[in-house]
Amino acid sequence: MTLVLNIRDLQLAFKSWSGTSEVLHGISLTIGKGERVALVGESGSGKSVTARIVLGLLQELRGVQISGSVEFQGQDLGAMPDRERRALRGTAMSMIFQDPTSSLNPVFKIAPQFQEVLARVTPGISMSATRVRATDLLREVAIAEPERVLDSYPFQLSGGMNQRVMIAMALANRPALLLADEPGTALDVTVQAQTLDLMRALVTDHGTSVLFISHNLGVVREFADRTYVIYRGNIVEEGPTRDVFENPGHPYTRALMAAQPKITGGGLPDLVEGDRHYLEPRFVHEGVA
Amino acid sequence: MKRMTTILLANPLSLLGVLLVGLVVLLAVFAPLIAPFPDHRGAVVDFANFNKPPGWPHLMGTDVVGRDLFSRILYAYRISLILGVVVLAIAVPIGVTLGLMAGYLGGWWEYGLMRLTDVFLSIPPLVLAISIMGVLEPTLMNGMLAVTVMWWPWYTRLVYNITRGEKVEGYVLAAEVIGASKTHIMFREILPNCVPAVVTKMTLDLGFVILIVSSLSFLGLGVQPPTPDLGSMVAEGAKYLPDSWWLSVFPGLAILIAVFGFNLIGDGLRDILGADR
Repeated sequence: MTLVLNIRDLQLAFKSWSGTSEVLHGISLTIGKGERVALVGESGSGKSVTARIVLGLLQELRGVQISGSVEFQGQDLGAMPDRERRALRGTAMSMIFQDPTSSLNPVFKIAPQFQEVLARVTPGISMSATRVRATDLLREVAIAEPERVLDSYPFQLSGGMNQRVMIAMALANRPALLLADEPGTALDVTVQAQTLDLMRALVTDHGTSVLFISHNLGVVREFADRTYVIYRGNIVEEGPTRDVFENPGHPYTRALMAAQPKITGGGLPDLVEGDRHYLEPRFVHEGVA
Repeated sequence: MKRMTTILLANPLSLLGVLLVGLVVLLAVFAPLIAPFPDHRGAVVDFANFNKPPGWPHLMGTDVVGRDLFSRILYAYRISLILGVVVLAIAVPIGVTLGLMAGYLGGWWEYGLMRLTDVFLSIPPLVLAISIMGVLEPTLMNGMLAVTVMWWPWYTRLVYNITRGEKVEGYVLAAEVIGASKTHIMFREILPNCVPAVVTKMTLDLGFVILIVSSLSFLGLGVQPPTPDLGSMVAEGAKYLPDSWWLSVFPGLAILIAVFGFNLIGDGLRDILGADR
């Protein structure tokens, strides 16, 4: 299986005046072609920074120390100059964010924002060509009136619409890898479910690999082929989603599963803070998704 | 844009502002046609009619060498408006660009540029302009230069603060993620979101620039005689108060009308564009 993303022993630390704070302690993660992989963990566990490193956004900041390797389609991102890394963004890899409405610039209509995205691959694409292409892309994400949407400002559309526009833009240039950072967390549950179904259908069609970052176990269970559980900058468990959910091997994963609120009531269970068992070595489920 | 104009004109105060500014601009543009004594803008002496109170044909009276005050005010408006526009046309692009850079690039750019603007902002603006004018020759060009130098830091501050807020918005991150260049993000993504505030401040500032230039002229550092300037006309006339009241009252009123008009429009724009930050 060819690997789209291969992260090996990734360590990240932020250096500041008061000293160094270590955020990731050696993360290893692989994503094959067309595979949907979830990275699950609580807030501050290092999910989002991992995505930012893959995109090459953190590398440009000062005071950031990164070691280990990140290979994208066989190329080492760490050894790549900034310019080449930037060329990959928006073409070979793209990203979807939590809040779709704020991810679109409020002062521009949707059409010119599409033009910018498409111009990454087709420089100088005309507005009429953009509209033709964008109409197709919006139809793909089940938007019934693409013309009206293209002439709307983001704040004139609903959150669900904006989310679908974002998905259409993210997939516009047929990226090999899509990073989804808690997509739809800002939306209500039914809309979230619809857009996730849509996204799954699209990435399956296009053979796009997905790194799906979430703290929502229900969504992950539905969406991902394989799951990594991250805790305090360490991967504590990995394996096919079904195995991880049905047979969690690591104490932290078990606690995380138990912390899900049940519809049958019984209150919100606690996730015990900093239990020493959580720091046990990683648990790997062998087997294929 | 059309809707904006409608709202602006629906507000009686903004409407008054538009009318006043419109009047000032018309008077300035058509000064040669309107002025009853166009040649009185320069070094003309008419001792037969010196120090006449308002009446016919001198609507606002004449000054101590017999020049028609009304004609001189019209020509002074031209200079004031040109000055205001030129000063803002230079100060705003500089200030806005530096503000975007300080706010978006962060790091040493932020430290350097913001401390530099702090230095400028810590000196009272008029004192700074006076010291610049004191070193340079007091000419119109140098006057513009002095006012420009004291004006850009305010725009840097304004845009810097907005940029700091916009920088963390999702659309900026989204633009970074699609690989947009820093220049693109600053000028194409963030700048359009600063425009309402900048336009509003510019409208308010046009009045202030006219006022500052008048202050400089009042102190004898701005536009030099015989070129008419509202500030120096007030200053000269003040010597003959209260007997020859028209000498400073009419130029003073002229300043008031222009500044008041621009401020009313600025306030109206601020309400419409929600730039009240």
